[in-house]
Amino acid sequence: MSTSANSYNAGIMAKTGKDFADEYFAEKNQVVHESDTVVLVLKKSDELNTVVEEILLGSHKEQNPTLVVEDRAGFWWLKANGKIEIDCTEVSELLGKSYSVYDLLVDVSSTIGRAYTLGETFTITSELMGLDVKLQDVARA
Amino acid sequence: MAISSATKAATDALAVNRAPVSVGAQEVHRWLQSFTWDFDKNRTKYSTKYKMANDTKEQFKLIAKEYARMESVKDERQFGSLQDVLTRVDAANRVHPKWNESMKVISNFLEVGEYNAIAATGMLWDSATAPEQKNGYLGQVLDEIRHTNQCGYINYYFAKQGQDAAGHNDARRTRAIGPLWKGMKRVFSDGFISGDAVECSINLQLVGEACFTNPLIVAVTEWASANGDEMTPTVFLSIETDELRHMANGYQTVVSIANDEAASKYLNTDLNNAFWTQQKYFTPVLGMMFEYGSHFKVEPWVKTWNRWVYEDWGGIWIGRLGKYGVESPASLRDAKKDAYWAHHDLFLIAYALWPTGFFRLTLPTAEEAEWYEANYPGWYDMYGVVYEEWRARGCEDPNSGFLPIQWFIENNHPVYIDRVSQVPFCPSYSKGASTLRVLELNGKKHSFSDQWGERMWLSEPERYECQNIFEQYEGRELSEVIAEGHGVRSDGKTLIAQPHTSKDGKLWTLDDIKKIGCVFADPLKAL
Repeated sequence: MSTSANSYNAGIMAKTGKDFADEYFAEKNQVVHESDTVVLVLKKSDELNTVVEEILLGSHKEQNPTLVVEDRAGFWWLKANGKIEIDCTEVSELLGKSYSVYDLLVDVSSTIGRAYTLGETFTITSELMGLDVKLQDVARA
Repeated sequence: MAISSATKAATDALAVNRAPVSVGAQEVHRWLQSFTWDFDKNRTKYSTKYKMANDTKEQFKLIAKEYARMESVKDERQFGSLQDVLTRVDAANRVHPKWNESMKVISNFLEVGEYNAIAATGMLWDSATAPEQKNGYLGQVLDEIRHTNQCGYINYYFAKQGQDAAGHNDARRTRAIGPLWKGMKRVFSDGFISGDAVECSINLQLVGEACFTNPLIVAVTEWASANGDEMTPTVFLSIETDELRHMANGYQTVVSIANDEAASKYLNTDLNNAFWTQQKYFTPVLGMMFEYGSHFKVEPWVKTWNRWVYEDWGGIWIGRLGKYGVESPASLRDAKKDAYWAHHDLFLIAYALWPTGFFRLTLPTAEEAEWYEANYPGWYDMYGVVYEEWRARGCEDPNSGFLPIQWFIENNHPVYIDRVSQVPFCPSYSKGASTLRVLELNGKKHSFSDQWGERMWLSEPERYECQNIFEQYEGRELSEVIAEGHGVRSDGKTLIAQPHTSKDGKLWTLDDIKKIGCVFADPLKAL
């Protein structure tokens, strides 16, 4: 069982019964608290299973140890601090076939955070894209 | 030969802004978006008190070709799974009967939401001026058409391949008598398409989609899988692959008005109204469907709500916007109370009014009662004892002559309908955030369950004139109303709704209801 603060059942979610209720109804929890995390839901598929196992739990997890990936039956649930980025050029090499960022979007089910594409890269970030950071266009060829 | 002025203008524009040599989708997208129009004279049919900026971006940079290719692959995967392996393994008959009933409600109601979202995003396309923002909304219009078909298809699939087709097919014919329909239309229809365009976007995209589609369309698939349903994950997770662009559209709506003075005046009120509008219905109804409409429990609904609504939507969407003046919704405290208790309150009333539904409900078993008490301390003393009494009085058996709504009448616990949300509530027997408020306008009384809806009604009472079932059918006998409202199966006498899912249990007919002599009465007339 994961002990990460980002896991599906972290913090209050690990509590039950009265303990859960006490924290849930605590005065401090009657307003929202800003979070620097992002959540990604990936539909299970041939390609996405490979992306999760080979890239996200591989090089990405090394770069961002806060990343948690959990198996929730029909989907992979991911949460991390800051951002999660998937480079589809890398996926394409791994799969041995052409695989664009729009192929990836076929199986990206949900996002909590600001998600966007730029070239062949998919990013979900806690940054406020369009407010704090300008959304970029792909560079002219 | 002289060329026309239009051709010359196009030629000149192309000379300055040359078409890309490559056919890279995002390069084409950038080129297309550089063609803008003069919006100074733009006349929109759907006005907004906010000024939407003219340079808002689209986060996913879609062009029609990539959009169509992407969506066709989604459909191939979804329909391929449904028509091949899931049919071959008889998946629809492996679903637990209780969950089969939940899907009658979830998919039929979501279909209505998707249908109205077509109009909502068409309206937003009309209201926005930034080309990229329009492009994002346009993609969403097409998505919503797809989703409407998907929801219709899953009911068709359940009806054709599975168990107990009644209710999966043609549920909408019962819309006049079912007390859950009108509340659903308040959130899924009125909230999305009526009023200020940006306010509709906040209802649909920033709250409805960015917040509540995660429990409604994502978390629901965990409950489905746990209860033997592999069709719903196949379809709903595919629907949700479009929702992320809709969430981005909602966020970009906020980005587009962030520098407008009106935002500092109105945005927090609009956000709070939208949050309360959506949560008032989704919180109890989804909790009821998940917990009371399943045999195998994934986790307490309040935890699902706490994760997806409070921690993630609240912290990652709303919390991060704090520095731009966006505040925690003022109604959050009441919403949290509802997330803990309101679905228990609603199930008590839903079960009491079961003949008016289009689905079968079951009382919690002893094992389930233990689960409820362990996860919601105090549940048994409030609800468990009532279910034991109803069961002892034979509420499942047509020969008992007992409908649970009689218990509310006998014990002087009148059931009201909240005028704004259209959600039924019983103020004298409730643990959620509901309390009775009654206001009178032009000689007519209106009941409210909370200050948030009451405030919305006070600002525009003409918006909430929908008759509730107690007003509509006052003085009418129940079996007569069910027959008139098409609440019977194909034999013309057996009710679609039933108070159990047992294969061996007797099914209630119109005659069984008629013998009881239950007559609709408007509780506001007694005040």
